[in-house]
Amino acid sequence: MRLGRVVGAVWGGKEAASLGQRKLLQVQPVKLLPGTGAKVVEAGAEDQELSGGLVVALDMLGAGIGEYVLIAHGSRVRDLTIGPDLPTKDVVIAIVDSCHVDRELLTVTPQEAA
Amino acid sequence: MILGRLIGTVWATRKNPRLENRKLAIVRPYFWYNPSHDIEHVVAVDQVGAEIGQDVLVCVGQPGRWVAGDYRSPIEASIMAIVDRVEIAQRACEDATVPFVLRQDFRPATLEWTP
Repeated sequence: MRLGRVVGAVWGGKEAASLGQRKLLQVQPVKLLPGTGAKVVEAGAEDQELSGGLVVALDMLGAGIGEYVLIAHGSRVRDLTIGPDLPTKDVVIAIVDSCHVDRELLTVTPQEAA
Repeated sequence: MILGRLIGTVWATRKNPRLENRKLAIVRPYFWYNPSHDIEHVVAVDQVGAEIGQDVLVCVGQPGRWVAGDYRSPIEASIMAIVDRVEIAQRACEDATVPFVLRQDFRPATLEWTP
């Protein structure tokens, strides 16, 4: 499971029949950079700390552009959430309200810091 | 299994019903074997009540679902243990044939070197 930000939607002129009304979203995984203080992620907050790789994930929860989501990967996850009929491996499983990361924990070990 | 540090928490209200009442934690792995690229972070379900800053062991894939106690939940990773001590052989890190990458600036708090 990874944290990512919805950066756009994808529409196809012709789509797999099993897709139905479900949406495909472009999700950019969050990059965690070391620093000081806490990094708080909230919907709508401007955040440039995103990694380069884009993931197209299937959404059943109704996430909007700019929202942070939790994406899970794998065919088992797909089977357990939407069923085995759809050819996708990335699924949005939660829409993140907020997330808190202690940036100071991203570099040195507590021992080294002491 | 992944050894990493618990660095943060995630809150979500709109989520898959099978994730209800689950504590979600962000873990940054200390080292990786395969894939050989840097894994930035992994969000895992906390089953043991770990605290921020602690070294934890994350179980990924289907066993991660078993650790969570619900094999039909879309969980990909679960924290299965809190780590007390990590020992790494110096020799293994110097050997180029060992497919093991250790970060320079991010190591376990409880790491001890053995020859």
